[in-house]
Amino acid sequence: MAHIQCNFYSQTLQKNANVIVFLPTLSADDYLEGTKIRYDAAGGKYQTLYLLHGSYGDCTDWTRFSGIERYAQKRTLAVVMPSGENSNYVNMKDGEPYLRYITEELPQFLRTVFPLSQRREDTFIAGLSMGGYGAFRCALEAPDQYLVAASLSGALDIQALRTSEEAHAVKMPANYKAAVFGDKFDITGTDDDLFSLLHKRVVEGAALPKLYMTCGTEDFIRPGNEKFFTAARMEGVDIRYDRAPGVHDWDFWDEHIRDVVKLLPLEEDLVF
Amino acid sequence: MGFFQCNFFSPTLCFNTDVHVFLPTPNSDEILNNKHSDYFRAGVKFQVLYLLHGAYGDYGDWMRLTSIEKYAQEHKLAVVMPSASNSFYQNMHRGSNYLTYISKELPSFIQSIFPVSAKREDTFIAGLSMGGYGAVRVAFELPENYAACASLSGALDFAGVKNMVEAGAITGPFRWDAILADKEEAETGDANLFVLADKRMREGRTLPRLFQTCGTEDFIYPQNIVARDAFMRLGLDLTYEEHPGIHDWNYWDTHIQRVLDWFGLADDSIADGRE
Repeated sequence: MAHIQCNFYSQTLQKNANVIVFLPTLSADDYLEGTKIRYDAAGGKYQTLYLLHGSYGDCTDWTRFSGIERYAQKRTLAVVMPSGENSNYVNMKDGEPYLRYITEELPQFLRTVFPLSQRREDTFIAGLSMGGYGAFRCALEAPDQYLVAASLSGALDIQALRTSEEAHAVKMPANYKAAVFGDKFDITGTDDDLFSLLHKRVVEGAALPKLYMTCGTEDFIRPGNEKFFTAARMEGVDIRYDRAPGVHDWDFWDEHIRDVVKLLPLEEDLVF
Repeated sequence: MGFFQCNFFSPTLCFNTDVHVFLPTPNSDEILNNKHSDYFRAGVKFQVLYLLHGAYGDYGDWMRLTSIEKYAQEHKLAVVMPSASNSFYQNMHRGSNYLTYISKELPSFIQSIFPVSAKREDTFIAGLSMGGYGAVRVAFELPENYAACASLSGALDFAGVKNMVEAGAITGPFRWDAILADKEEAETGDANLFVLADKRMREGRTLPRLFQTCGTEDFIYPQNIVARDAFMRLGLDLTYEEHPGIHDWNYWDTHIQRVLDWFGLADDSIADGRE
């Protein structure tokens, strides 16, 4: 893989943004063992996974704490890892519009710079914790852009986190939380409430991305996952939920991002 | 500009290598000062400069020690800065094939990943000191691929510089026995730019336009005079400049701007993209 750290001025965020991109290129293993993959074929494009970090993290997390490069290389998958601060990947109430950045400007920018496929069937989004919420939030915001969205230990029931006593919730500075969701932190019935947004999209009859969820059975965030899965089943959407032993940590995410990469419908080559 | 730090496996070098890339993208200066910023769009391509470091250096030098990003942005020029160790940009006798890497693999890699033009008229190469030599060495290796090349304080008189390093008159980190198979190559082989230029002209090939600049107080100035005279005798399309200055980043930061002006760039993105 080519590991590419990108820094560019984002017109949406009105400041410089960092994003790390893995592009499948000839690896040492390919060189040693030979490969049928047409890395440099003219007009070839990459299938792409947008991969979101959790709160307290940034664009470097997945590269530092998981083996995502190896897993993606095996399946000839480009990976895009942006930074989203602690925005929950929403258009912040009184801050930067990260949702618009992730769903609009970032793919447009990266598809102009790199040979990434523009097609829905080649575009996937996943994330952990806050990024699990973000993956679903983005996928439901722009369901025509993503074929699959995956949440690992996702903060899917944001409203419940408002009263959570977990460190993840209480140690986030109150003024930052106010910037994200407003002083009242009441998102019930808004598009930032995944339950409401999912229902709205179902009512609209939108073709939704396939949803995949996984969560550790000992994870503090599990109740919200159970609740979302139940709600999504009642909505009748295409969703799969795998539970596995584990807590809210990188051991879990490094293991289960492999499940996500495995279940994506990939060509394992460039696409044309 | 978009700033891209790339690390990838090079099958030519057989190890991972780093390259920095700048691409023109709209920035705060263009917004604040109402400058033209509609050049970045789907299907865009950019003219591209391969910019080579000197001895002791690496891919980070130009970015850290000059304002190349600002100058390239003004010209809407993509810049690619690779690493070549202390190889003198040769396919080393004992070592790595840097000439092949820089002249063949790298442009192919960059063109397949980034929106840069693959046309000769849009492709430029420049460098400082060892990289000044390298720019001309690469441009003369594959003259059909480069519109122009530029040497800043370049070690263009390869044999002369080598002799001076060996005599202790110039300091250098070069392992000549590793770089060259035999010492004669410096005088009579393709490593000698005057020999290579003459050979290419006899082959009937059109060499890229050549720009040469050197500080008059630079320790390498005498060898630049030798190179200038040799290039002129060969009848190359040479623009020669000398200015007060020594072998330092003040000179290179100043005169890389002159190089960009001299290239005669489009100062805009190139139409007709990859789709």
